[in-house]
Amino acid sequence: MTAVTGLDVPKTAVAVPPLLKSPGYWSGVWRRFKRDKVAVAAGIVVLLIVLMAIFADYLAPADPTRSSMLRRLRPIGTPGYPLGADELGRDMLSRLIYGARLSLFMGVAPVFIAFVFGSVIGIAAGFFGGRFNTVVMRTVDVFYAFPSVLLAIALSGALGAGIFNSILSLTIVFIPQIARIAESVTTQVRSADYVEAARASGAGSGTIIKVHVLGNVLGPIFVYATSLISVSMILASGLSFLGLGTKPPTPEWGLMLNTLRTAIYVQPWVAALPGVAIFITSISFNLLSDGLRSAMDVKG
Amino acid sequence: MTLTLYVEDAQDRGGAGTPLLQAKALTKHFPLGGGAVVRAVDGVDFSVLKGETLGVVGESGCGKSTTARVVMQLIPQDKGELLFDGEAVGTRALSLKDYRRQAQMVFQDSYASLNPRLTIEDSVAFGPTVHGVPKAAAIERARELLAKVGLDPARFAARYPHELSGGQRQRVNIARALALGPRLVILDEAVSALDKSVEAQVLNLLADLREEFGLTYVFISHDLNVVRFISDRVMVMYLGEVVEIGPVEDLYDDPRHPYTRALLSAMPSMDPDNRTMEAPLAGDPPNPINPPEGCRFHPRCPHAQTVCAKVKPALVATSDAEGARRVACHMEIAGSGHSRAPALESAA
Repeated sequence: MTAVTGLDVPKTAVAVPPLLKSPGYWSGVWRRFKRDKVAVAAGIVVLLIVLMAIFADYLAPADPTRSSMLRRLRPIGTPGYPLGADELGRDMLSRLIYGARLSLFMGVAPVFIAFVFGSVIGIAAGFFGGRFNTVVMRTVDVFYAFPSVLLAIALSGALGAGIFNSILSLTIVFIPQIARIAESVTTQVRSADYVEAARASGAGSGTIIKVHVLGNVLGPIFVYATSLISVSMILASGLSFLGLGTKPPTPEWGLMLNTLRTAIYVQPWVAALPGVAIFITSISFNLLSDGLRSAMDVKG
Repeated sequence: MTLTLYVEDAQDRGGAGTPLLQAKALTKHFPLGGGAVVRAVDGVDFSVLKGETLGVVGESGCGKSTTARVVMQLIPQDKGELLFDGEAVGTRALSLKDYRRQAQMVFQDSYASLNPRLTIEDSVAFGPTVHGVPKAAAIERARELLAKVGLDPARFAARYPHELSGGQRQRVNIARALALGPRLVILDEAVSALDKSVEAQVLNLLADLREEFGLTYVFISHDLNVVRFISDRVMVMYLGEVVEIGPVEDLYDDPRHPYTRALLSAMPSMDPDNRTMEAPLAGDPPNPINPPEGCRFHPRCPHAQTVCAKVKPALVATSDAEGARRVACHMEIAGSGHSRAPALESAA
């Protein structure tokens, strides 16, 4: 018997005809996402808030830092002050518009950095498993065991006030959470038959991670990370509220909530506005993330 | 014009007489902690000849799939040796990567064994690219293979696994396994999850491909009819051990081990006069964590005697079929002490 070592295929027989384009995975996700009215609405709100932050210079009717001792704590609807004035007589609407910049940044930046580091840690631990996984994940668990608010405050307090330090402390809070999700998703993928099959064709770990693991785990990790943006915003606001984040007079929603706290009996509606802004933004991010998750959570 | 194969050294090295694959005392135990050990594969010996199909049958949990995974080196064996064409796998003579170009596997779950985020041509082309074939050439080859397994590349190459039926996906998996030009293909319950009609088509495809590419198959299944159709020889496993091995027709016509006999009589018969009237085997297979002493089948065996509970029967050649049949049963071993054992030569 002779070992056949070639495929006797005439090349002309497969003179590559035009391929029918497959709609693919992401178009399916988009189609399902579009059907989810709530998620689409939340996405539009997020988009509007982002645009508002970017074009704050054009949208804000007044200088957010110009104060007026004569016009302190004006109610909503005062001429020239559509959303009232704060305790230093600054235009609330302008401050809320400008505040979106820092608040969004404080929401997104720590989550993004934590997404990068947490994914690397979690995917490595999940993929290589064994003792390496145990060491890495138990270390992560030590951080995870702290309530995130306490950990953020403690780290911020230790590092000192400031935007950079609050971003750093929030990043440290989120890395373990993202790493845990990344690890559990990767562990599932690692034992999938297609990874076994890839290993059986002689592929090394690097190739398997690049071709077979990343594409299947980054989506779910990303969705989880978007749900952390609202948490990050709220924690950042909390840090500012405690005087550990932004410093006055920079407009930032958490800080505004803090400084207006004393005026809660005088102008409750005005004092609540930064809270409303935080609420709307964070719930929109959450609903968007939920929508993404259910759109992506389909076999195939 | 023939396509050159990327595996240059896939030639027959050992000659036709050397089995393509030899497993020697292959053992894989899974520790459970607390000292308990699952003896999934316990000293399995077999060889697969060039160009033949070896069927592997046995109940769930008998170690069929673990054997397959050890043979593929997806999990390392604890003990024992694996020879491919006469050379030990994982040594300098035959590195793991070289071995994996020549031995491939098709899994049972056609969906789980394809990456949902890759088009099927990318999945098929993945193996060759790992071995240094340029992407464009690998894709071209993938399309040719898809055509070979009956999937029109124009219609299917750019599709994703979830857009295909189970039978189509299993064809893709077969194409993927063939992409490296292997000599040995392990089919682990490869047709078990398919509809009967689709199963028949895929079996015919496998038979055609074996013919065309001179493949050697290890065909693992719990379906005795399918194994009979495709195999040249059959190996019966029970609790991590080989109890009987032999040419398919001999084994089906004249099963020698009581377990093989029970397994075969459990097959539904098409003949109304020849129905199975009572369950041939009672109970479940014993726990592989603590397998019975002696012959592992003795607690369920209708012919068990005291010797069976004490001494473990070796897998020995029977007197007939020129030694191609081997059975691990005291009733076949002369002088074993079992009352049905053949008399010793000297006594005769």
